Amino acid sequence: MKRLLLSLAFLGFAAPAVAHEVLHEVQRGRAVAVHAWFPDGESLAYVQAEVFSPADEKIPYWKGRTDRNGWLAFVPDVPGKWHVRIVDSTGHGLDTTVDVAPPGAGDGASGGGIPGVAPLAFVLRPVVGVALIAAIFAFLYFRGRRRPS
Amino acid sequence: MHVPDGFLAPTITLPAWCAAAPLWYWAVRRNFGTSSTESLPVVGSLTALAFVVQSIMIPIPGGTSAHLTGVAILAILYNPGVAFVCESLVLLLQALFFGAGGFTVLGVNALAMGLLGPGAAWLCYRALRRLSERGAAFLGAYAGMQVATLAVSLVLGLQHRLSPAYMPVPFSVTATAMMVPSLTVLGIVEGLYTVMTLSLLRKVKLVGPR
Repeated sequence: MKRLLLSLAFLGFAAPAVAHEVLHEVQRGRAVAVHAWFPDGESLAYVQAEVFSPADEKIPYWKGRTDRNGWLAFVPDVPGKWHVRIVDSTGHGLDTTVDVAPPGAGDGASGGGIPGVAPLAFVLRPVVGVALIAAIFAFLYFRGRRRPS
Repeated sequence: MHVPDGFLAPTITLPAWCAAAPLWYWAVRRNFGTSSTESLPVVGSLTALAFVVQSIMIPIPGGTSAHLTGVAILAILYNPGVAFVCESLVLLLQALFFGAGGFTVLGVNALAMGLLGPGAAWLCYRALRRLSERGAAFLGAYAGMQVATLAVSLVLGLQHRLSPAYMPVPFSVTATAMMVPSLTVLGIVEGLYTVMTLSLLRKVKLVGPR
């Protein structure tokens, strides 16, 4: 009888411990991943980031930091426009929306650039900018030459 | 250094636009009339060069990048109004075509990087140029970079104080992250860039009297 009581007492202590067990599952293809990088190809690594659900624009649905390669990932629970903010401590960053399609509708990659072409953009960007500025100043110059002061 | 769209609330961006708009009007009228036509090729070349140097990211330890502004030279050679207009044009093109900075924050970025920084550079250069033109240009550009960086970090800090939802990083972190690279690297490189450009322009006699 005494042994039985002791055994029951042990089980009584063990029960709450079982209640603290953490279960898990792995699902692939459910998360939305966002990659942020500078035009020269450098990633925004370990940068503060927040994700806001279309259901609640005030309280962050996800909060954390980008990883070493400038990625963040979250698992959306509703379709719609998700608001992603990546804020570097130097004031650089990203403030964009990510369209999340309803389940089964399919969702492709989107964004403001392709990492593979970063070196190309790094070269093209100044070239295009210089061309635009040259065109503006050339216009002002020739207009000024035609109009005597 | 550019503040992107979405990091500042309209309570800051609207007053900045209101302050910048009349200054743009005044600076364009004063510096880009028909009487200034002959200086346009040099001003245009320096503006294009500023665009290029702002596209070159200098890696900063800690996972971020920074860049020069390249407009202190315009303030030193002409006046802060020219630098203000040219930097605003660079920022506008970056915002419209390349997604850097932004249209709503254009007033803030232009006032900080185009007016306050070059204004400080011009004042410093004018105060010291009798001692040494190159030294004055270097110190002017260095001071201009610090003033512009401090102005941007103060605005971000103010935004954090007003509403952390827009800028979650507090001023102490922002100011440290921005000012340390600016004081130790960027200011020196901006100073060297300004001195080299000034020397080159003086050598080929493309710019007016000293």
